[in-house]
Amino acid sequence: MASSRAVDAAPLLLAAALVALPLLSNDFVAYQIALFLVYGIATQGVALCWGRLGFLPLGHALFFGLGAYLAGGMLKAAQDHAAWFLALPLALLLPAALAYAVARLVFARSLRSGPYFSLITLATTMLGFLAAQQWSAVTGGFNGMANVPDLPGTERFGSLYWLIAAVAVASTAGLGLLLRRPLGVLWSAVAQNEDRLQLFGYATDRIKAGAYALSALLAALAGALFAVHQGIVTPQAVGFVLSTEFVIWAAVGGKASPLGALLGAVLVGYASAELRERFASWEVLVGLLFMAVVRFLPDGVAGLGAPWLERKRQQAPEPLPTRDADATAAARPALSLAFDGVETGQGGVKILDGLSLHVEGPGIRCIIGPNGAGKTSAFNVMTGRLPLRAGRIVLDGDDIGGHAAWRVARRGVGRKLQIPSVFTGLTVQQNLSVALWGRGLGGTAWVSLAPQGRRSALQDELLARFPALREQLHIPAGRLSQGHRQALEFIMTVSPEPRLLLLDEPCAGLSPAETHHMIDVIRTAVQRIGAAGLLIEHDISAVAAMGGEVFVLHQGRLLAQGSLADVQADPAVRAVYAGGHK
Amino acid sequence: MDAGTLLHALNVAYALATLALTTLGLAVVFGLLGVMNMAHGEFVMIGTYAVVTVQQWGWPLATAFPLALLTCAALGYAVERWLIRPLYQRPFDTLLATWALAMLLRKLVEAVYGKGYRNVESDLGAPLSFWGTQYPAYRLALIVLAIVLMVGLALWYRRSAAGLRVRAMTGNPVLAQALGIDTRRLASQAFVVGVVLAGAAGVLLAPLVRIEPGIGIDYLLDAFFVLVVGGLGTLGGFAGGVGVIGGSQAVVSSLFGQTSGYAVVLILAILFLWLKPDGLFARR
Amino acid sequence: MDRRSFLQSTAAATALVAARHAFAADALKVAVMIPQSGPAGLFGPSTQACAELAAETINARGGILGRRIEPMFGDAGLAPAEASQAALRLWKGAGAQVVLGMHDSAVRGALVGLFKAQLPYFYTPVYEGGECARGTYVNGETPQQQLAPVIPWIAAERKPKKWYMIGNDYVWGRSTNAAAKGFIEKTGAQVVGDEYLPFTADNFDSSLARIRDSGADAVLVSLVGGASVTFNKAFASFGLTEKALRLGTLIEENTLAGIGAANARNLYSSAGYFANIATPAAQAFAEAYAKRFGAQAPALNGLAESAYEGFLMLEAVAKKAGSLDVAKLDAACEGASYKGPRGSVTMRARHVEQDIYVADVGDKGFRVVKTFPHVASGQICKA
Repeated sequence: MASSRAVDAAPLLLAAALVALPLLSNDFVAYQIALFLVYGIATQGVALCWGRLGFLPLGHALFFGLGAYLAGGMLKAAQDHAAWFLALPLALLLPAALAYAVARLVFARSLRSGPYFSLITLATTMLGFLAAQQWSAVTGGFNGMANVPDLPGTERFGSLYWLIAAVAVASTAGLGLLLRRPLGVLWSAVAQNEDRLQLFGYATDRIKAGAYALSALLAALAGALFAVHQGIVTPQAVGFVLSTEFVIWAAVGGKASPLGALLGAVLVGYASAELRERFASWEVLVGLLFMAVVRFLPDGVAGLGAPWLERKRQQAPEPLPTRDADATAAARPALSLAFDGVETGQGGVKILDGLSLHVEGPGIRCIIGPNGAGKTSAFNVMTGRLPLRAGRIVLDGDDIGGHAAWRVARRGVGRKLQIPSVFTGLTVQQNLSVALWGRGLGGTAWVSLAPQGRRSALQDELLARFPALREQLHIPAGRLSQGHRQALEFIMTVSPEPRLLLLDEPCAGLSPAETHHMIDVIRTAVQRIGAAGLLIEHDISAVAAMGGEVFVLHQGRLLAQGSLADVQADPAVRAVYAGGHK
Repeated sequence: MDAGTLLHALNVAYALATLALTTLGLAVVFGLLGVMNMAHGEFVMIGTYAVVTVQQWGWPLATAFPLALLTCAALGYAVERWLIRPLYQRPFDTLLATWALAMLLRKLVEAVYGKGYRNVESDLGAPLSFWGTQYPAYRLALIVLAIVLMVGLALWYRRSAAGLRVRAMTGNPVLAQALGIDTRRLASQAFVVGVVLAGAAGVLLAPLVRIEPGIGIDYLLDAFFVLVVGGLGTLGGFAGGVGVIGGSQAVVSSLFGQTSGYAVVLILAILFLWLKPDGLFARR
Repeated sequence: MDRRSFLQSTAAATALVAARHAFAADALKVAVMIPQSGPAGLFGPSTQACAELAAETINARGGILGRRIEPMFGDAGLAPAEASQAALRLWKGAGAQVVLGMHDSAVRGALVGLFKAQLPYFYTPVYEGGECARGTYVNGETPQQQLAPVIPWIAAERKPKKWYMIGNDYVWGRSTNAAAKGFIEKTGAQVVGDEYLPFTADNFDSSLARIRDSGADAVLVSLVGGASVTFNKAFASFGLTEKALRLGTLIEENTLAGIGAANARNLYSSAGYFANIATPAAQAFAEAYAKRFGAQAPALNGLAESAYEGFLMLEAVAKKAGSLDVAKLDAACEGASYKGPRGSVTMRARHVEQDIYVADVGDKGFRVVKTFPHVASGQICKA
């Protein structure tokens, strides 16, 4: 596959360059470059979180320094008791565990924690710096932990270079590989539309925490290599300045690309170290460069090559093998959903005021009502977007009030949003895949190539109903027209074969013919998977075409329910709601 | 009150006053405009260097004020116009862009003045004797000034026509625009006021603090922590934040040393960022 | 004249002077590590000036073992790991064969671990004592030298009853204060306070309140650079100048200029050198310095001058050993001596025996009030 081949070359080119380096220059230059390779590995960790997952760790040196101090201390102790060598992996795992814990705690609180997370990482790195300075008994304080011995089998000014180069190539290759696997696609999805991802049942806080732990592992690995390379670890290895440099190198080199991040550290870092002493204005130049990159080149220098890569990917659309997904669940127990006096509100305004309704068994029901009646809010409070202030929501006998969106989704609730919401940066095929994987991929499947091309039988059937969409499988979803986006989001919502479908105005923005088509597809799909569906609609003809029970909402309460004819004849409904036609 | 306690109380008041002065600018920019200006501390630093500069040129110290004000105003206008305005709805990018700016300003000052420490000589340090203790008159003046400034700003915000326009803009920018309020100009003015306040704080503190290009980050972090803890947009929140952060730092420092004091501030900030990011008295 | 143009003109002048002499062998590259940034950055320009003057003076007499000295400067004001990298660049990258260091102890520790006695390392400033690594030769004053004769003298002159000790929180601050404690208690006085602050502290209010509360009538100041300046200014502005005398072992001309003579009344400084010592050797040196660098030269001070002494010590030990090989230098250094601006200096146990001066502060700056000749360093390093 053309595009994969083009990207695969990166680690090979890197390896070639690193082999040539000491041959073309001298050992001392190689020694100096090795230091920046080490920094580059940590920078790749920052670039992973920032460039792929969309959150910025401002204090990554904490893990770098932790890895350095731990490895340094262990190597020193190993000079007396060789058993300490066995403890070395802990120098990498402890920082990763710490990172996971911190990220889980912070991200679990709210979806909007991004900038606050950055500030928290900054504050923790400063705490780490203080601790490193004060705890002199363990860390050596301001003087640092000196006399770290060489790693056995390597020599600091000689063969250590090869070890560091090998690790740098491995991490570049490893990250590149991960990014092209389902896990990488999932990471990009987190950055693009975390809200939507949760509705597919993904615990996004855990995904982000896992990625953060991986980036901390890389930083700690780099730190351990740093300790051996320098022979001394000082509190600056944990500090704010180094954390800042990681971010700058990632920004300039290219935060979306592991090779870019590594090269950013090596080129900018090495150049700075060499030129800093000769030109006072060099650092001003770096500052200007950083500012220009942030303002104009969000993907760094590596990003300049990205459009070319994308064109290559599009030129060679891979013929995707489709495979039958697992057999659809056979007879499923009848779904039961009950709202019981549900109240919710936001910002001092009460939106739902004691809503009670009951849904049993499969089939589509429609929810209608004037604007502001609380239709979308009923969906929001069920999927955790609005707080449940009073009452209960019971799904299959379990109280799901106040649960996070992904927990609700995992119970078999699928939701299609009012404004069609897809992963704009991913291709249509990738969007469909992400929706499908939500049903649970096995552990190693996340890093294998196979799931990327898979579509379920259901997806194929639905795609057949929207041939225009089938032609555009390799177009980024952000480029689709409104109508195709609606279709795509619908197919995605149905893909995991949920038991309860919440559809919020699926025909918004569609022409009458398209509306009719969509209604047809919805009805067929719901029947096919044996789900219960709640459909919010304004178009009465669509409601009529759908058949089934109708709920009328008004001012946060259930006003009437029954067949469409019953509801239309109801004087209360007539008084409140003049039904509209498209 | 015996002399020892009075001295301690004055020390705490001074710590709170300097914290309030250096945070005020960020309260305007972050609290009102929602811009995470990571270069805030650098504007304070520029204020201190203004004093260094006028001393180098042999001018009277008071001329540092207009110099700092002009520099910060010009910088602030340029930054708002070309760096911040395109990024208003994207807090992450604003954070990064202003951080890049902070780095740039720091490196510029390093290039011109060198990385070493500077000192401002002044005869303003004379002590004033009263009630059994001696306290520098200049610091007393600063404490009073901080209180006056905070009250004055609060009154202006609540009572004046300009304050009303600003409140409208922060509450509902689209509606404000529809009513004919020039939100772009107002935002620009608010930003300039914010950075000018930061520069003025730097000028006032120059004789008392250590001056080097890297001091910005300390003022920035303290200011952010104050705003995070206290909440944005209200005077009560501002005072609360100053009290909690400044007070805990002062108390812990006098008991356990400065490093512990700073560590406590960091821990408090982390806790608030995690559990109560809107602060104690959010504008709601 | 600002620092950069001063340094540029210095470099030009050095090149001119050096070109006038024809030397036997290749140049002797000496890496000179000085603080160009950070808390001790104030001392950078003056130290560089003294180092260059030393190189020129020694080159004028034929250099070291017939080789012309070529000084190369590196920034030791950075954190220890970064300073190591700078030193490494000068050593392995630029081929330095001798290292002279005027910087803090943390960097010294890192450099000793870096060089591992592969090349001679002359460490010149005031420090806390205890450096016995092979290949390392120490010129600077030790706490024992600066305090052992001085504290009893102050006790006799001023009779303080309660001492408060304050220092920066690292090895020099702590070691100095620890050594002082013994001397203070031997005079019958009491130590009522002992506290340490980070380098970056600039708010000493609570410390000053504690000093006042404790009723101390003498304060031992073991702070460095900017912290020392800010502390002493605040000390005066809180009205403590008359309440307690101050004694410092690292208060030199630049720090005094920052503090201001008015704020430095009742302050004593104990050091191996002051710019206005009245001995003929010191005055000759001061004149040569003024002539070389002009009226705008950075103020002469003990730390900078120690770099000059370091070069003289290098010359003396190299001449005695006849080589620059570390083993031979180690063997020959005991008893090597020279006469310089500080007077007669002799190396014992890789430290030096030197004269100690105590100065207080008058309107024009330091006034030497007492001299202690040939004070032993109090260090015992086996050769």
